[in-house]
Amino acid sequence: MRRSDRYRFVVILAALVVLQFSLRPRLGDDRMAPDFLLVALLIYTIRAQPGKSAAAGFVVGLLRDALTPASFGAGALAHTLVGYLSAWSKAVFFAENLFVNGCLFFAGTWVRNLVMAVASGKMRGGMLGWELLVWSPIQSLTTALVGVLVLWLFGRHLAIRMSDA
Amino acid sequence: MCVLLSFAAMGVPARVRDPFARAIRQTVLAPLLTLQEQSELLSASVSRYQAVVAARDSAALAATFLPELRNENGRLRALLGLGARLGTGYVATEVLHQSVPTDPLTLVVAAGRRQGVRPLAGVISPEGLVGVVSAVDERTSVVVTWAHPEFRASAMAGDGSVYGIVAANGTDGPRSWMLELRGVPYRQLVPDGTAVVTSGLGGVFPRGIPLGSVVGMGREAEGWERTYLLRPAVAPAGVSHVMILISPRPGGSARGAFETPSSGNAP
Repeated sequence: MRRSDRYRFVVILAALVVLQFSLRPRLGDDRMAPDFLLVALLIYTIRAQPGKSAAAGFVVGLLRDALTPASFGAGALAHTLVGYLSAWSKAVFFAENLFVNGCLFFAGTWVRNLVMAVASGKMRGGMLGWELLVWSPIQSLTTALVGVLVLWLFGRHLAIRMSDA
Repeated sequence: MCVLLSFAAMGVPARVRDPFARAIRQTVLAPLLTLQEQSELLSASVSRYQAVVAARDSAALAATFLPELRNENGRLRALLGLGARLGTGYVATEVLHQSVPTDPLTLVVAAGRRQGVRPLAGVISPEGLVGVVSAVDERTSVVVTWAHPEFRASAMAGDGSVYGIVAANGTDGPRSWMLELRGVPYRQLVPDGTAVVTSGLGGVFPRGIPLGSVVGMGREAEGWERTYLLRPAVAPAGVSHVMILISPRPGGSARGAFETPSSGNAP
């Protein structure tokens, strides 16, 4: 990757972090609004090795845990697993395809919410069902749309080459 | 390694976890939380302008009669030999929601020690009780909502006929996101629709803050006590602004601050 691409890559990820705390609160229900922070993590994992991705996920999760003490540690675990699995599956299975990356964003968000809800130990039964079958798919969909949009707009700056769908 | 650290983080006791989380909130996350607070303020000022104007007009109309009511109250208290009525201060603040599944259990609000917030301060919205402050930082605080499994509040029926303890109904089954009124003596029946408010016992919450309304009987211990299900007055996930009571006092009353259509039994 060229130095200018690396610079743009960092700027785009930083912009997603800023959007998480500036734009997302204005996008309506928090259970449905896209998770820009997770989009940034998943975009990072598309390029990075599984080990580095897991470490990045751990840091992101720990930061989130500081904001949701009810599930302290669960966020770190969920983001670590999602970061590692995303980078590993990307390296082993996935082609550089916009639709496939969209599916990666969708699955990453849903799995993150699943692990977090289960590991926190605070959600069971009906509450867990609603979370995983209603709210999480909606949030995964909006997150995937944002992720695809970012890749479509800035894919070449992220050094992610997209083939035709 | 990261997975092991995550499990370790889940197992650390609160006395280690809370200072660590506080340090992260006050350093790395501080500028981002400030950004979110400003965004919430901007969002409120734009999207809720009409509602705020309407609320201001209603408050101004109500305030027109306030001096007369104060004088009358003062005269009556003097006749009864009571001292001056204690005031309850509050801090209005924004809720900084996070997009994770456990967000409604604990909330981060944009007011902290600098604004006079203290641990165990009650947190309310215009509809009723949201929760209680569990940790206070310099500029933010963590609120445990009524949906948290460890939340408890001393409660009573609106007319004071029944007392009990209100807690979250749990996360299992179709009645999740409900409250329950526990410890009601078996001989006392509470009709559906009865408003349940804080009792003021224990000194954490002032008396009279709406908690919810009875929707049915949950379970009963044979000949001993009954538990009633309550529809909560407030949905934590949908709250954008709250008020933190900064000078609650044991035995105080906040009943007059809420508009409860029926403070007694069901219609």
